Amino acid sequence: MTFSDDKPTMIEFKDVHKYYGDYHALRGINGTIKAGEFFSLLGPSGCGKTTLLRTIAGFEGISSGAVLIDSKSMEGVPANERPTNMVFQSYAIFPHMSVAENVGFGLRKDPRSKAEKARAVEEALEMVGLKGYGGRAAHALSGGQRQRVALARALILKPKVLLLDEPLSALDKKMREHMQVELIKLQRQVGITFILVTHDQEEALVMSDRIAVMFDGEIAQLADPETLYRRPMSKKVADFIGTMNFVPATVLSEAGGQVEVEAKGLGRVMLDATIQPPIKGESPVVGLRPETLTLLYDDQKATERETEGVVDEVIYFGDMTYYDVYLGGTDVEVRLSMRNVPGRPILDVGSKVRVAWSPSALVLFR
Amino acid sequence: MKSPSLRIYAIAYLVFLYAPIILLPLFAFNDSKVVQFPLKGVTLEWFRQMAGDAQLGIAVKNSLIIALSSSILSTTLGIFAARASTRFRFPAKGALMGLIMLPMVLPEIIVAMSLLIVLLAIGVKLSLFTIILGHVLVCTPFATAILTSAFQSLDKSLEEAAYDLGETPLSTFRLIILPLVLPGIISAFLICFTISIDEFIVSNFLGSGEAILSVYIFGQFRFPAKVPSMLALGTILVLISICLLTIAEYFRRRGIAKTGGKDTGGFL
Amino acid sequence: MQNNGLLARIRRSEGASGLAIISPTAFYAILLLAAPLVTVMLFSVLTSENGHIVWDFSLSNYETVFTHPVYRAIMLRSLMVSMLVTLATVLLAYPLAYYISFNVPAHRKSMWLFLVTLPFWTSYIIRVSLWRVILGYNGVIDSALMDLGLVGEPLNILSNGVMSIVITLAHAYAPFAILPIFVSLEKVDRALLEAGQDLGETRLRTFWRVTLPLSMPGVIAAVLIVFIPTVGDYVTPELIGGGKVPMIANMIESQLLKQRDQALGSALSVTVMAIVAVVSIIFLTLNRRFLGGQK
Repeated sequence: MTFSDDKPTMIEFKDVHKYYGDYHALRGINGTIKAGEFFSLLGPSGCGKTTLLRTIAGFEGISSGAVLIDSKSMEGVPANERPTNMVFQSYAIFPHMSVAENVGFGLRKDPRSKAEKARAVEEALEMVGLKGYGGRAAHALSGGQRQRVALARALILKPKVLLLDEPLSALDKKMREHMQVELIKLQRQVGITFILVTHDQEEALVMSDRIAVMFDGEIAQLADPETLYRRPMSKKVADFIGTMNFVPATVLSEAGGQVEVEAKGLGRVMLDATIQPPIKGESPVVGLRPETLTLLYDDQKATERETEGVVDEVIYFGDMTYYDVYLGGTDVEVRLSMRNVPGRPILDVGSKVRVAWSPSALVLFR
Repeated sequence: MKSPSLRIYAIAYLVFLYAPIILLPLFAFNDSKVVQFPLKGVTLEWFRQMAGDAQLGIAVKNSLIIALSSSILSTTLGIFAARASTRFRFPAKGALMGLIMLPMVLPEIIVAMSLLIVLLAIGVKLSLFTIILGHVLVCTPFATAILTSAFQSLDKSLEEAAYDLGETPLSTFRLIILPLVLPGIISAFLICFTISIDEFIVSNFLGSGEAILSVYIFGQFRFPAKVPSMLALGTILVLISICLLTIAEYFRRRGIAKTGGKDTGGFL
Repeated sequence: MQNNGLLARIRRSEGASGLAIISPTAFYAILLLAAPLVTVMLFSVLTSENGHIVWDFSLSNYETVFTHPVYRAIMLRSLMVSMLVTLATVLLAYPLAYYISFNVPAHRKSMWLFLVTLPFWTSYIIRVSLWRVILGYNGVIDSALMDLGLVGEPLNILSNGVMSIVITLAHAYAPFAILPIFVSLEKVDRALLEAGQDLGETRLRTFWRVTLPLSMPGVIAAVLIVFIPTVGDYVTPELIGGGKVPMIANMIESQLLKQRDQALGSALSVTVMAIVAVVSIIFLTLNRRFLGGQK
């Protein structure tokens, strides 16, 4: 799942700042996006992800710093001259034109003959699964079809970078999941760099080669989905992506790349200090994802460590059951998830349980 | 809440509202020199008299010149104002827009008189041209209001999309914005035309005595003998206004449908 | 270099583009509206001599406007007539707006609104003139009533100048009052009314305690929209009142064009503007109070 580092750089941000009057929207963005990468800008609304996307497109100027596309500075290059095309959140389908006219809009100044352009339009429509829709009126299309037209319209110009501004947010859940897969396939097929803006962490995890998580105009972490999920660099990132249990802890000693921690309810544990997030001066906690905790049944033995607990809440989800468990006679509660397999009973509130866990899954935030 | 009394009231109100308009054709075809009941019989005499009125012909021609020029000018000025106010933030925006819209909330006599004072002071001769100047002032706020709602219902990302696909700001305006606000432009033009034809105060004070339709009608109603032929004229004018208004409303709705917006009510 | 960059930035900035685009319209309004209004204000504190303006500052024009019995009387009458017209128009319009908003089915509403606004777009001059024919001695109403044997002799409503003016203007400005009230009634959350009745209120009390207060912004807008143009109405007093019941507008015309006293005419104009401004501010403040009180 990791993305090969030998690909050339397509986009580079060099200390990008953006002010709207007094409001500091982008606060020193640095980072690179590789050619052919499916890259996501993920964050809550107002974090600056759309602004950053629009600085690439050229709709937003920057206050200082530089945006480079294919090693060329984009300063002073207007949106209509940049090698990028965009799929808008509202799709921005021109309502007074047919589907074919929409898709072929960007070819107006193309020197090719009419017939060749028509063929290009037909090919683009076929690529997004809308073969034969060219003659339809654009305003009569469904949401999913509009989305495809917007994609075809942008891709027909063979841009170096395709920018997607929350393209799936207007679709219902089923359609959204379907389009996620289609977009991944499409990206592999055309090999163009895709940059996706989304506030949906699941969507970002599913689709992206790499993700930049943004908070308050800054990139909090830039990594591949697995690293982001397993080794979040801050509590905020950990909390935004998936669920994480936080257990209060005390750092006992640190030497030789190892750090010894006393976690409440879990006991003493040695952690690899080199893979832990940088120290920020917060009161230390260790984080565990729910699926890294397992309930032990009958005479099952933990492979690494185990802790006793009491079930406080049971949430049944069909294929899964979530348990909220008090750890080892403390008031520390963690959530863990168990797959429901035949022959495994759902436990009752108040049941005494044993919880297995692995020190390597712990993340130390301090 | 169903109450028959409210319904009766509503119908009575409509009768009050439409009474003068219904009386127009009634007495325009009535074979009597005096406007009173009972009706006497049908005649086309008053339409004939109206058609033979040379002075009225001149008035109609002058009014058409004024209405055409001032509606073209005010619609153009309205496009600039509406575009600027819906898409840009700029210094003194509130003050400038307030000034442009001011004639809507200022008694018309003030608009006319203050303009007259200045025109007289700097020695401009009154003519059809000065009437047009005044009409543009009166019509522009209406055009701006209609066009602002047309420009507002335009999704900003449509422009950005065209720009993103390689068009310049100017060609984007021509290819995307103009076709989409065209219904608004037509309806603004028709409304301005109607207002200008009907306008009395500016036409009366900023003209130099040329026959203007509204001023001419105003004058003729003082002579009882002329009233029936004025009613005939009124019948025709009402028919024309209703046609123009229906066309304007059609275009306004089509514009909203085109840009995929929701209808938020009629004019005003 | 520095200069160059700055210039380029201004040219590219949003503010400059906006100003550039609005400039034709703004320029027109400044030249033909703002400048004349400023001139009128200036003239109002100067002196007229034989139809010319003399650079002699004085407030005597305003003194005349406020103390001279004729001007005072006309000013007060104008105000009174406008207020009567406003009151009549808004009171008559409210039940209709209520009917359209609450009793007319949704798909018929726009047809009703169209019906209500249509008369407004037919010639104002003709509508006003028609009332003269309708209300006049032996006119449409008189002859119809006598024909039906309801009255023995002509009522000649037209001879009652103020009443005729009120009827005519209430007719002319009806849509201006109906539309804003309708819009505010449409915004009233229907669930609130059901809640009111659910809590045991009668319909009338629900109307008094919920609907009416919530529709006040529309009523206030209607008051302003009707009051402002009627204060400055010229045609109706001239045609209906037969010039016997002059209002401010007629007086301004007479001062400026007939007496050629531009200074006094200007002072009258400025006074009208001031009245309009004061009334607007009062009602807008009221409106804000209403909105504030609801929060």
